[in-house]
Amino acid sequence: MAIDDKFNSIRKGLLEFLILKIIAADKVYVADIIEKLSTTDFTTQEGTLYPLLSKMRREDLLDYEWKESESGPPRKYYKLTAKGKTQLGELNRYWKYINTTVQSLGQSS
Amino acid sequence: MNRVITISLNGNAYQLEEAGYEALRAYLAQADNRLRDNPDKSEIMSDLEQAIAEKCGRYLGPQKTVVAGSEIERILKDMGPVDPPTDGVAAGASATGAEPGAQPTHKRLYQISEGAMISGVCNGFAAYFNVDVTIVRIIFVVLALATGGLWILAYVVMMFVIPFANTSEERAAAHGLAFNARELIERAKKQYEEFRANHDWRQQRSHWRGEWREQRRAWREQQREWRRHWRHDWNMRTRWAPTETPRPSSYAARVVAGFLVPVFGILSAAMFVAWLIALVSLASTGTVLGWPLPTGIPLWAAFIIVTIAYGAISGPLRAAKYASYGIAGGQSPIWYGFGDALVRLAFIALFIWIAYHYIPTIHALIDGLPHFGHEVAHQATAMVTYFFPTA
Repeated sequence: MAIDDKFNSIRKGLLEFLILKIIAADKVYVADIIEKLSTTDFTTQEGTLYPLLSKMRREDLLDYEWKESESGPPRKYYKLTAKGKTQLGELNRYWKYINTTVQSLGQSS
Repeated sequence: MNRVITISLNGNAYQLEEAGYEALRAYLAQADNRLRDNPDKSEIMSDLEQAIAEKCGRYLGPQKTVVAGSEIERILKDMGPVDPPTDGVAAGASATGAEPGAQPTHKRLYQISEGAMISGVCNGFAAYFNVDVTIVRIIFVVLALATGGLWILAYVVMMFVIPFANTSEERAAAHGLAFNARELIERAKKQYEEFRANHDWRQQRSHWRGEWREQRRAWREQQREWRRHWRHDWNMRTRWAPTETPRPSSYAARVVAGFLVPVFGILSAAMFVAWLIALVSLASTGTVLGWPLPTGIPLWAAFIIVTIAYGAISGPLRAAKYASYGIAGGQSPIWYGFGDALVRLAFIALFIWIAYHYIPTIHALIDGLPHFGHEVAHQATAMVTYFFPTA
């Protein structure tokens, strides 16, 4: 859809922010993240998510720990680091600021 | 019925149908390639393998132990193409997996098997330097002559080291811009590791080692024979002309011998071509120049028999050629060797060219050369396991 396509790069850029939000709420495993996003417009796949998570970990925004699972091998559960939490706060503020800008632009004041 | 391949994903064994295996391999190879500059590559790769393994597990049960090809297709579609995050501003590529095709193509040396005579190395060089492939081939032959065959060894190494241009991206890169030596070295390392990881490599290595020893032994033998031959020649001269100038033979004998040298040269080159054709036809059709093998003789044994027969016929022929050269009054064995090699290669090339253009079977055989390589490797393995069943 043409309208969708115009926001492709925006959606892609927002993915990191959304992942921070999801991980902040709860310790999650990659399949959880994918499932949470699957009902939204930000549907993503392992092929995108794993490289992105590893990049974020290198930037010290998040970390993971291994947890045993009942079915199969141990899984990586992600959580935010202190730096990740700080960045999430900043991103939240910035997102609100953008939102107000978008809302207010073009409105007769 | 489908062949099943067992693979290990992050340490667990899974059985896949062959088609699924190919698709999975292609997917992982592409992922590996796209992550090549990523410092966390190995970790991401094992994460991906783990995710694929879990998805495979969903298709398996107590009554179903094999993952079907269509199921792998679905799993890979579910995984999505591996898409390394770009720092800073996101590239225009969508999250739904459009190819990041807008990257500048880097010129790289590839082997191009379309229209190749052997493996595509010359083709790749031609594309890389943007010259006609015939020129590259001529240069290669001249190099092979000038280095006394060492270039052939270099060619074999290149066959191993230079990657094949399989995708359209790679084919574009074969003609594209700059070429990165570091990537070449890494590719060589990787291919070497793949070669090592292949469980046949021990057998193949021991086979090639034996072959190499055999070659060296034959070469020493040959040199000894040559020395004996020249010494003998020298003795003849001193005996027949004990005074000053060494006049080996009469004028008539020298003329006849001078005429015989190229005749023997052509004959031995023809023998060589016949031997090559016999080997190729054995590998591709299982017959020797149209005659089927007697039952009970394995293919590798037929290879050896044909080679021994070739040695038995060409040996005396070669000796006769050297002898007539001696009588004709050649002085410099170095020039003789160079000239002989040149004549030999020219004749072989001519024979093959004529055969390729006028004999349809041979045309088909030569087109089947890549298959020949596979068959030889396969038969070598069969031979080793025949002699060392436990190896």
